[in-house]
Amino acid sequence: MDFFLGGLTRGLGLLVNLDPEVYGIAWLSLRVSLSAVILAALAAVPLGLVIGQKEFVGKRFLVVLFNTLLALPTVVVGLVVYGLLSYHGPLGGLGLLYTPGAMVVAQAVLAFPLITALVIAAVITLDNRVGPTALTLGATPLQAAWAVLKEARFAVLAALAAGFGRVITEVGAAIMVGGNIRHYTRTFTTAIALETSKGEFAQGMALGFFLLVVALAVNLASHQLQARWK
Amino acid sequence: MRLRVLLIVLLTLLLAAPAMAVDRLVLATTTSTANTGLLDVLLPAFTKQSGITVHYIPVGTGKALAIAKRCDADVVIVHAPALEERFVADGYGVDRKPLMHNYFVLVGPPGNPAKVQKSGTVQEALKRIAQAKVPFLSRGDNSGTQVKELSLWKAAGIKPDWPGYREAGRGMGPTLTMADELGAYTLSDIATYRKYLSTGRISLVILADNQDLLKNPYSVILVNPAKCPKVKYDQAKKFEKFLLSAQGQKIIADYEADGKKLFWPVHPSK
Amino acid sequence: MSQALFSLRGVVKRFEQREALNLERLDLEAGVITVVEGPNGAGKTTLLSLLALISPPDRGRLFFDGHELPRSGSQLTAWRRQITLVAQQAYLFETSVDKNVAYGLRLRGMDRATREERVAQALEQVGLAGFGPRRARRLSGGEMQRVALARALVLRPRALLLDEPFANLDPASAQVFERVLGELPGQGCAVVLVSHALEQAHRLAQRVVYLREGRLVPEDGHRPGA
Ligand SMILES: Nc1ncnc2c1ncn2[C@@H]1O[C@H](COP(=O)(O)OP(=O)(O)OP(=O)(O)O)[C@@H](O)[C@H]1O
Ligand SMILES: [Mg+2]
Repeated sequence: MDFFLGGLTRGLGLLVNLDPEVYGIAWLSLRVSLSAVILAALAAVPLGLVIGQKEFVGKRFLVVLFNTLLALPTVVVGLVVYGLLSYHGPLGGLGLLYTPGAMVVAQAVLAFPLITALVIAAVITLDNRVGPTALTLGATPLQAAWAVLKEARFAVLAALAAGFGRVITEVGAAIMVGGNIRHYTRTFTTAIALETSKGEFAQGMALGFFLLVVALAVNLASHQLQARWK
Repeated sequence: MRLRVLLIVLLTLLLAAPAMAVDRLVLATTTSTANTGLLDVLLPAFTKQSGITVHYIPVGTGKALAIAKRCDADVVIVHAPALEERFVADGYGVDRKPLMHNYFVLVGPPGNPAKVQKSGTVQEALKRIAQAKVPFLSRGDNSGTQVKELSLWKAAGIKPDWPGYREAGRGMGPTLTMADELGAYTLSDIATYRKYLSTGRISLVILADNQDLLKNPYSVILVNPAKCPKVKYDQAKKFEKFLLSAQGQKIIADYEADGKKLFWPVHPSK
Repeated sequence: MSQALFSLRGVVKRFEQREALNLERLDLEAGVITVVEGPNGAGKTTLLSLLALISPPDRGRLFFDGHELPRSGSQLTAWRRQITLVAQQAYLFETSVDKNVAYGLRLRGMDRATREERVAQALEQVGLAGFGPRRARRLSGGEMQRVALARALVLRPRALLLDEPFANLDPASAQVFERVLGELPGQGCAVVLVSHALEQAHRLAQRVVYLREGRLVPEDGHRPGA
């Protein structure tokens, strides 16, 4: 019982003590994961929209493919992105390895299939009259696509929230390409892994508690957005 | 609608801007040096003196060397002499210098089912463990600690192949916890063991300590600029010089965790 | 007789190899209410989608206002903005009635004040004054049908296509529709109406077109305006 209570009280302590290192970790986690979700969404939302709306050969295969990609272990994604960003990798010249940018890339790769799969599902289940209705009212094809997205907005926002949940909680990819550098690439999850490996279980639990609070704040904000966006 | 798009773009830029690369030296090192907190004292002192930022990546020795082989680090601090020699012989590393050492400890359950004698040598201890076929937990992660453990078995002329000999495949901390729960013996670095013991997480006791065979030497090696043209050799060289300078060695000698000395520098008198 | 607004020549539309529509020749004039009749599955909805430029023909030529239209491409939007369709079961967007009706005007870049004025006017026309702030998809079937008509009327299209507009309407609303539609030919609008509600349709129709199995039935003829 001490184990859990200790972690909880220490977590509350972290929140109120304004420890700059812990707040630095929180801010970095938030920045990296939000950037990753936005980056992934820029590709995943249009792609999911197209796959969900258009009829073409191989559509079912693509849907199955994206659902399968959800099973990718984060460590494997970390390895792949490490291979790409490494000095000898094709993108080594960017010098992104062991920077927050590398974590953004890895997490975006992780979030991409999840958001795509969920957007496809959202669009497929949406009424198929939306696009044609927009067209008959004078929309360009792009405006019609936007109308579809707007009608599916609750499911699309849920897809983004799910993507955020996946990336802010993952540790494998972030530690591999970020390197867990103190004050620079140390996020909630890599810090928790480190504290646990040091035997600082209470600190690990406390950080986990803090992470939950941050995730709660993000979800409340997105919920607020949903309620406003009519 | 256009405003919203603009907002999103701005937000992305804001979020992504701090992700840009910085000028820094990348040090790949073992978790044991990182976890003790030594680097958090050593590196700021170097930065203050030289203006060079050092980012350390805490991983196992094997992985640290693998990262360096791919030119993704500028300098390494590791503790596995055999691997280090290969690393240098293969042309990946240059200017390998001994930096400091401490001692591994052989630990086991307080009941000591193998009846290991605390005053004996580590070789005798391992023989007892093998004869009694009691559980022994190996790191199994190609860390410096595991490399050391395997060399100890070899030196004792034992092939660890009884069913109780298992590999954890995890870091030192989790391995200690597992060993404690399994009632197994294991080899640990002193710092992690002390940390776990002090939090009351484990009850394992030290059975062999402070012997030459258990010496755990750390080296600093620079990544060969001939293999990795973009490596920051000159800055790394400065870093190595600092580590071996009187100032650097004194910081190592004076570093204590929980009131106990953890590392012995190679040039203690300087 | 003036030049036709729509001219179809040898137009064929297939669904999975089955011909849903095959029209040798069909002209529809501005300022005329044309009623399209025919049994279920005759191709009436298919014809309206084609005229609304949301479903390209597989073969044949389609002229609008004397211009031959491409099958697809970005220029099509400009043509499409002169035509609008009220579908058999119109889809209303998940937002307020106001915003539904204003949607097409926003796409056309109309300023807010004019937009609001025209929306209010269109809602009043269909007997839904004061419905603006309500959630469109919570309305009754007949109310939704009327919002869909308002959303089309507000655009002041050159051609208004309606698919079964009387289906969900009570007698009073049907009367409102009849009156509103009856005013359109005077404004030069071409109205194409698909309806099984023969009473209303025949009162409105200036011309009736019969479709069967995708083809025109030669009973086609002009009637005096209602
Ligand atoms: N998207 C489609 N895919 C396949 N077949 C279709 C499609 N749309 C229509 N059809 C077929 O084309 C034929 C004409 O359909 P259409 O909807 O135009 O009939 P309709 O005259 O409007 O009938 P109703 O009076 O029942 O509304 C029907 O046989 C229908 O099954
Ligand atoms: Mg129909």
